[in-house]
Amino acid sequence: MPREDAGPGGDPDRIVRTERLGKRYGDFEALRDCTMSVRRGEIFGLLGPNGAGKSTLIRLLLGFLQPTSGSARVDGLDVADDGVNLRRRVAYLPGDARLPRHLKGDGVLRFFADIHPGGNFDRSRRIADDLELDRSRRVGFMSTGMRQKLALAVVLGLDTPLLILDEPTANLDPSVRSRILDLVIGARAAGRTVMLSSHVLSEIEDTCDRVMFLRRGEVAKKLVVSDLFQRHRVWAEAAAEQSIEVPPSVADRVSVVRTGERVRMDVSGDLAAVLPWISDQSLRRLRIEPLGLRTIYNEVHDDTGGLDDSSNSDLHRSVA
Amino acid sequence: MISRVLVRKYVSASWLLFAACGLTLFSFAWIRVWVVSLLDTSRFTTILDQFKEWERFAPIEFEALITYAGRLGMTFDEPVVIFCIVVWCISRGSDVVAGELGRGTLEMILAQPIRRRTLLASHAAVAIGGLIGLCLLVWAGIAIGVANTSVTEAVPSPTVTIPYINIDVPLSSGSDEKLVVPMSQRVDPGVYFPSIVHLFAFGFFLLGLASMASAADRYRWRAVGLVVGFYVFQLVLFGLGKAAESLSWLLSTSFFSCYKPQKMTQLVQRDGMAAAFDLTTPIEPGMLPPGVYPLILLGLGLVFYAVAGVVLERRDLPAPL
Repeated sequence: MPREDAGPGGDPDRIVRTERLGKRYGDFEALRDCTMSVRRGEIFGLLGPNGAGKSTLIRLLLGFLQPTSGSARVDGLDVADDGVNLRRRVAYLPGDARLPRHLKGDGVLRFFADIHPGGNFDRSRRIADDLELDRSRRVGFMSTGMRQKLALAVVLGLDTPLLILDEPTANLDPSVRSRILDLVIGARAAGRTVMLSSHVLSEIEDTCDRVMFLRRGEVAKKLVVSDLFQRHRVWAEAAAEQSIEVPPSVADRVSVVRTGERVRMDVSGDLAAVLPWISDQSLRRLRIEPLGLRTIYNEVHDDTGGLDDSSNSDLHRSVA
Repeated sequence: MISRVLVRKYVSASWLLFAACGLTLFSFAWIRVWVVSLLDTSRFTTILDQFKEWERFAPIEFEALITYAGRLGMTFDEPVVIFCIVVWCISRGSDVVAGELGRGTLEMILAQPIRRRTLLASHAAVAIGGLIGLCLLVWAGIAIGVANTSVTEAVPSPTVTIPYINIDVPLSSGSDEKLVVPMSQRVDPGVYFPSIVHLFAFGFFLLGLASMASAADRYRWRAVGLVVGFYVFQLVLFGLGKAAESLSWLLSTSFFSCYKPQKMTQLVQRDGMAAAFDLTTPIEPGMLPPGVYPLILLGLGLVFYAVAGVVLERRDLPAPL
């Protein structure tokens, strides 16, 4: 399914590319100078609080919005030029997926399977059954969670190279969330690319290969998730007069921030090589924790500089 | 240009409204034929004579209403008929974009590989098809009513005219003879074809207007409000233009002036079917040829649809509220 020709100047390995993409509403800039790319076959996470520009970026990629600056290509197609062909290659789950209320579950699956060239009613039905959805019920009489399952069955049933999922697990119970994430990982295993926007950091950590943080309409940080697992934060207390000198052998991997007696060390790479030096520092109340996405998130979005160690206490807590 | 899948969806979304409006229009048109049959045409003359001073408010001269065909032609100006057509056109027209946006369903639909103009065209196909169906149901109601209704007519007693003083003297002293005849002998339902065309053109104009408002807005209530406000405003202009001679120029500013179903019935009865579609000879009132009036409404409806297409193609689609 991937296209050989990614278009003029395009890299066939990148299914999504944006170049200084922007969207302005009057004086308000919903997205500014967004340059990013998504590799084929990866799960790409979009993170940011409400109003950060995640949905604006997704809606620009789908051709719902006209960009006010920059450009974007999906599978080699300019989003401003060829919306129909572009959407043949994309299955999109909106953040608040609403479906025709007068149709029954089966009717909805049939409708979307018929209207999309990559649709397959049987496949969508299997996914719906897998999610234990009552397909005979009218959408108008479904609970929010049931409607979300139905929308997921629609989207995951489409055979497209790119899946864009905006908060796919919202309104779902934990067991179904886990099943959805399995389906997302399964999509990657099948060679599909997934763009995933979520407020649940643990989901992003568990599924995504790369993450992009948006803040107030701007790209604030990009991160390879596997690198995150080799990063740790050390909290401790040291006497005020005690100086902490990082030896040159690990200086490129350790950063130290002190606030009075309070010490914070961020360590990247193998922790074992740094532990002997740490143990020599006469530190009190030492605590080592993985440098989770939550911490990075807070560094990006909080103005405290991440010195609040309570921020990493619950990795699985939603930040919404 | 038109998506079969979308058409199926729009049909399933609108069939209940169509059924309700269609049943109302069909049964009303049929019942109205029966009601008309209850009143002898000759007696109707007496009634109309009492309202002569109000003739200027009527769409045609009262003389034209003395016939059964003329009175049945009034069906197209009945509030029930107009109401059903207006409800269908405004509700369906306002649904196309603002309605789907309000329900939040447009997001998922336009995420599929369909053009926005395909969405508009598919919606228009169902709405226009429904409008044609409703117009035909009015016609069918009249036609079935005419085929199944009889009228009782009083046959005047034979008289003799006394020469020089010109007084008619009845030859018998009994009451008038009553004659029952099928209404189909008095009315040909075919005379209402131009009226059906006018009713369709009237609805098409509103459908286009409502679709344009819907394509430009994100709130359906506002799109409906705009169209209803425009409708009432135009109705006021039309009423004022009819009421006062000095304000008659207002008639040319109201689209209601282009809706002349009764005038068409009168023309067909008098000059044949072709007269109702004449594009060269002006008729009173309005000074335009009869065939031009529905063309104005149809043309404006098409312009509204074209504007709706351009607006929808260019606009940003906001996220559901």
